[in-house]
Amino acid sequence: MIEVEELTKRYGSFTAVRSLSFSVRPGEVLGLVGPNGAGKTSTLRCLAGIIPASAGTVRIAGHDLAVDPVAAKRALAFFPDEPKLFDYLTVRQHLAFVARIYGVARYEALAKPLLEELELVEKADVLPGELSRGMKQKLVIACGLLHSPSVIFFDEPLTGLDPLGIRRMKDSIIRRARDGAAIVLSSHLLHLLEEVCTHVLILKKGDKVAGGTIAEVAAQFSDGQPDVSLEEVFIRATGGSET
Amino acid sequence: MIGALLYLRLTSLRNLVVYRIRRLREPKYLIGTAVAIAYFYFVLLQRPAMRNVPAAGAAPAFAGAGMMGMAVLCVGLSALALVRVAFAWIAPADKPALRFSEPEIAFLFPAPVTRRTLIHFRLLSAQFAILFTSVLMAFFFNRFGYLGGNRALRAVGWWVILSTFDLHLNGTNLTLSRLKEKGSGFLPWRAAVIAAIVMYVLAVAWSAAAYASVFPPGDFSSARAMELFFRGLVHSSPLRWLVLPFRIAFGPYLAVGIREFCLAMVPALFLLALHYYWVSNTEASFEEGSIALAEKRAAAKAAAQRGELPKVGASKPRARSGPFPLSPQGPPEIAFLWKNLLSMRSSLLNRRTMLVTLWIVFCLAFGLRPLLAIQARSNGFDIYGPIIVMFCGMLAAYTLLLGPQVARQDLRNDLPNADILKTYPLEGWRLALGELLAPTAILTLLLWVSILVCAVAVDSRGTLPWLTPGLRVTVAVCMGSAAPFLCFIQLIVPNSIMVLMPGWYQASRSRGGGIEMFGQRLIFGVAQLLIALLVAAPAAGAAALIIFSSQWLFGVGPAVAIACAVVLAILAGEAAVGLWWLGWRFEKLDLSTEIR
Repeated sequence: MIEVEELTKRYGSFTAVRSLSFSVRPGEVLGLVGPNGAGKTSTLRCLAGIIPASAGTVRIAGHDLAVDPVAAKRALAFFPDEPKLFDYLTVRQHLAFVARIYGVARYEALAKPLLEELELVEKADVLPGELSRGMKQKLVIACGLLHSPSVIFFDEPLTGLDPLGIRRMKDSIIRRARDGAAIVLSSHLLHLLEEVCTHVLILKKGDKVAGGTIAEVAAQFSDGQPDVSLEEVFIRATGGSET
Repeated sequence: MIGALLYLRLTSLRNLVVYRIRRLREPKYLIGTAVAIAYFYFVLLQRPAMRNVPAAGAAPAFAGAGMMGMAVLCVGLSALALVRVAFAWIAPADKPALRFSEPEIAFLFPAPVTRRTLIHFRLLSAQFAILFTSVLMAFFFNRFGYLGGNRALRAVGWWVILSTFDLHLNGTNLTLSRLKEKGSGFLPWRAAVIAAIVMYVLAVAWSAAAYASVFPPGDFSSARAMELFFRGLVHSSPLRWLVLPFRIAFGPYLAVGIREFCLAMVPALFLLALHYYWVSNTEASFEEGSIALAEKRAAAKAAAQRGELPKVGASKPRARSGPFPLSPQGPPEIAFLWKNLLSMRSSLLNRRTMLVTLWIVFCLAFGLRPLLAIQARSNGFDIYGPIIVMFCGMLAAYTLLLGPQVARQDLRNDLPNADILKTYPLEGWRLALGELLAPTAILTLLLWVSILVCAVAVDSRGTLPWLTPGLRVTVAVCMGSAAPFLCFIQLIVPNSIMVLMPGWYQASRSRGGGIEMFGQRLIFGVAQLLIALLVAAPAAGAAALIIFSSQWLFGVGPAVAIACAVVLAILAGEAAVGLWWLGWRFEKLDLSTEIR
């Protein structure tokens, strides 16, 4: 469960996110969309505890991120757009390292099916430098899912993946949500949101322009027209420009 | 066409200068530039304050010293150039004969220009660096007043030397590439050239020895006598003909007046023209090699900009087993120690480095012994022990002061992964502690070895009655206990600088980068030294006070032990405060806004 109240992020005099409030319940997938510079990444980074919020409250699985960051972080997983891995740790060693950080007892039993699911078994003793981008992304996912997080954040999850990788990533997101995870993902790919997300939040210049289920947001910007695509909704909601 | 290439170079240079000037609006670059300018002003432009140094060329003694200095400089540079060229033939590099950047390859290789034009472009590009270096060298060497001469003429002299050498090296590389392409005869050619170089060196050595043997033995303590010897040596036959190419290249630099300079320039320019003809008429392929190298350099540059360690020339990382089995439960800090030791083994502690280090230590320790024994027999004073103590003391000082800059398998190395680290369910101080454990362990180990060797070697003959075995062990144990704390605190300093000013830190890590980067690195070095002194001062003061005041009561050994306990408490307190602050600051760190 993710609960966000009046979240604000300022960089000096510039406000990247302004008084944002929303919640994501278990099983829901919230798509964060907006033009470049809308504040999507800042929002995600605040939610994951990477950067401190300037104001507002973020609660992850019932824990206030500002008050009890360790407990909140224990429940979440963050997947950046670029897979960030340690150069000198093999796939298996990455899992061992993460298991120790999160205190995952008998992680081998969890790691095995994960490696199998992500087709990394044959690469278990290989360094990241020898992995393709898709494989690296899979390793990041394996590391993130090892502690069975109840809250998951994806920043541009499809960047650099091939068509097969894209399909698998979509399936993986849907499956995690079905298993009860609360998921937030940011993406420019509106077709991904239509396929995967239950809810959508449109941002523009740090402000919430629209939010709710996809149907609700579509209805808000459809002007009475039937079957309006999310792309059209996005353009209408954001005024068709970054500014 | 060459006009377009010249435009590219000049415009790029102008834009670079404008960009660098504009970014001086940022304090980190402005302060870095100011410090670097101050450094260069005092080191390059200010003549050292020496007594009794008359105006240039005024006194014969100093004129002799000046000539001597220049002769030694020229001989040294010639030897270096010879070694460099010989090395190119002995171990030809895989790199292309001429190097181009990625944009140069993208724009120039498909462009309708001849290969010769590309070579001209490359030579022209090198000229910018050569001109800059020439001016710098002229300033640097002319700061010693007794060398005398006009700075502008000296700069032109340097330009001739550096340009000739650059062309010679390019010619050598192109010739090697051409021979390699042809395949057959590559090895015999190389063998022949290497043999020729060896024979040349032997001939020069034989000629010099022959002259020295007939030179009337005299007093070489005066610069004038040395100058006479060198003058005679250089003009003796057959040496004067053997070193003719070097004499021609160095002629303009060594000229003392305008007339002599102009006369020296004629053969020097002729030599330069010959080299140019050689380079521009050697048909050798450089395109494929250039592309591969440019890609590699671009990848290294991108890695450096991401905050990773420069990996130019570094071997590809290999998968290794962990330094110890990592259990999934227990203090998470140990996971960082495990991870960082693993990466350290791949970079710093690889087998080759360890073997080379051990070999050097072995040679120094056992090779020095018989040499110093001979010396000890002649004057009755054995300096083997003091040398070992001095060497270990220096090793300890370097470990403490420079070690933290080398062993950086900590937060600094993990800066590119900061986003991921911050999602871990750990307090900032615990994360910082974990990150600092590996380099602390390595530096502490080095300090312990130094302390142990010092404890054994200091006064090994037992001439100091007060240095009892008990006191020796007590001091060694006390120093050994303080070592991990000192290393830990020393490592907190650069990590704190990194989290406090990540922009500065990242900028200073990029390769090259100009005068402001140099200034920034200078500031970091001085800051590390100052903070080390500041941190050590309370502990050292307390220790001195306790030993001085309590040795009368308990004796030296117990006084040292009491002082050690207090020192450890102070250092532990300082380390705890530093660690807490580092962790707190890391939690607040937002790289997206701070690295620009």
